[in-house]
Amino acid sequence: MIQFINVGKRYSDGHEALKNVSFELARGEMAFLTGHSGAGKSTLLKLIMLMERASKGQITVGNQNLARIPPRQVPYYRRHAGVVFQDHKLLFDRTIFDNVAIAMEVAGTPPKEIAKRVRAALDKVGLLSKEKLTPIQLSGGEQQRVGIARAVVNKPPILLADEPTGNLDPELSAEIMKLFSDFNQVGVTVLIATHDLELISRLPYRVIELDHGHIRNEEAFVNG
Amino acid sequence: MAKSNSQGAQVSASKPMLGSYFGNHKKALSHTLNEQKKKPLASILTCAVIGIAILLPTLLGVFLSNLERSQLSFDNTTQMTVMLSKTLSPIKGATFAQELTKIEGIESAKFIHQDDALEEFKATFELESTLEHLSDNPLPHSIIVTLSESANTIEQAQKLRTSLLGKPEIDLVQLDLMWVQRLNSITNFLSLSTWILGLMLSIAVILILGNTIRLAIENRKDEIAVLKLVGGTDAFVCRPFLYLGIFYGIGGGIFSIILCSVVLAILAQPIEALTASYQSDFSLSGLNIETTLFILLVGTFLGWCAAKISVKQHISAIEPS
Ligand SMILES: Nc1ncnc2c1ncn2[C@@H]1O[C@H](COP(=O)(O)OP(=O)(O)OP(=O)(O)O)[C@@H](O)[C@H]1O
Ligand SMILES: [Mg+2]
Repeated sequence: MIQFINVGKRYSDGHEALKNVSFELARGEMAFLTGHSGAGKSTLLKLIMLMERASKGQITVGNQNLARIPPRQVPYYRRHAGVVFQDHKLLFDRTIFDNVAIAMEVAGTPPKEIAKRVRAALDKVGLLSKEKLTPIQLSGGEQQRVGIARAVVNKPPILLADEPTGNLDPELSAEIMKLFSDFNQVGVTVLIATHDLELISRLPYRVIELDHGHIRNEEAFVNG
Repeated sequence: MAKSNSQGAQVSASKPMLGSYFGNHKKALSHTLNEQKKKPLASILTCAVIGIAILLPTLLGVFLSNLERSQLSFDNTTQMTVMLSKTLSPIKGATFAQELTKIEGIESAKFIHQDDALEEFKATFELESTLEHLSDNPLPHSIIVTLSESANTIEQAQKLRTSLLGKPEIDLVQLDLMWVQRLNSITNFLSLSTWILGLMLSIAVILILGNTIRLAIENRKDEIAVLKLVGGTDAFVCRPFLYLGIFYGIGGGIFSIILCSVVLAILAQPIEALTASYQSDFSLSGLNIETTLFILLVGTFLGWCAAKISVKQHISAIEPS
């Protein structure tokens, strides 16, 4: 589903965040992306989201060579990949419902359909009763779950997350990870960047480790 | 990666349906209007500035169309007085008048005997006694020529006058066009000024609104980044700002229509007094439907232009990070 071949990323200031990265994530697979701070985890996810472009190599997502997607096609591409951030990136002047709904509004989905799907997504993350509140009225864990609902409401084949449990206590983190495995169970390809080695050691998923922009010992591979 | 479909089975572009296209616009529009309700004073002030900028050329335009109307009513009956050569007998003069009617552009030609002319002159100016002393009638025979409707323009009249002057039977052709010409050149000058002023102020409106919209974009930077992240196209992200531009444009238009009506109402009295002193039945007519619609259209267009330019410059620079 996601394939990197000798991918390099050099930022405009000359810093090489990724060097010669190659790996493949099969359709329906779930994996963690780890590494020290500055290893290039966020950069790798940004390349998949086309928030940044690779400087070298080739990235293929769902049979599409990302280098061949022109800027005006990027929005359509992004609708097929949900993404969750540590800082949630929610809109604080809108309700929880509206925060999730925008992901479908941008695609021009009819309002009736939107309402149905948004409520289903909120139900899945356990926030259906809070749809009329605004993000400020929610806890950190709840805000993160709104972000997840927004990422999955379009039923994307790919779900990415950058430190989704960064600010959460172990119990909440485990709950969030459980949500991601649930989505993986129904066939979504999931890639999660995280620092939380303790948490992932207890989970039966593949770990891709980055070290100064290189992929390291990609062997820890337990499939459950 | 089993699928050989080159576009990718699930990761591909999909086009929205037409029905939801309008739903989208409705949503963007209501969002824009709600935003404005939150800060009514700022919105009203912006509209007022735009309204005043549109007002100036509008007022000039209204005066202009009034002037042009008064010119039209003058043009409806253009006459020339043709003074015949002293050597021409009355009979020859009368037949000459007949010949003139055959010339293209001349509707009718009425021969006036010099004696009749003198009588009328006396009657008009009550100079009976003074003129009694004249041994000889100083006035020539003359012909009053009325121009046909097709030839009823200043240029045509002037051309005809030159050609008539070439005839040996004619001494002098009086065509009192001086003030019409003057009015004409004033109108032309005003017309040009109006367009130049209109153009300048249009640019000013676009700059002011462009800046207002830039600030609005600045204020919603985070929202724009998030919308782009979840797959909002530039068109989708820009839409509320285009509506904002159009909103300000129409608001400015309405403002200028109100202001214009007020100014015209204030000026109507003094202008009537002024024109009455020129024995003119000129009266100021206010905004008609066409002008009103035109102002709204111009406002809409300017607002849209300003927004279009502003979003083009600023929206693409905002990327999720
Ligand atoms: N926009 C940028 N311009 C220049 N350099 C950047 C940019 N973004 C990231 N970098 C650099 O690239 C390297 C990798 O950054 P990245 O954010 O991918 O690391 P990370 O693995 O996500 O780290 P963390 O765990 O702290 O989030 C870092 O050294 C960072 O300083
Ligand atoms: Mg990071």
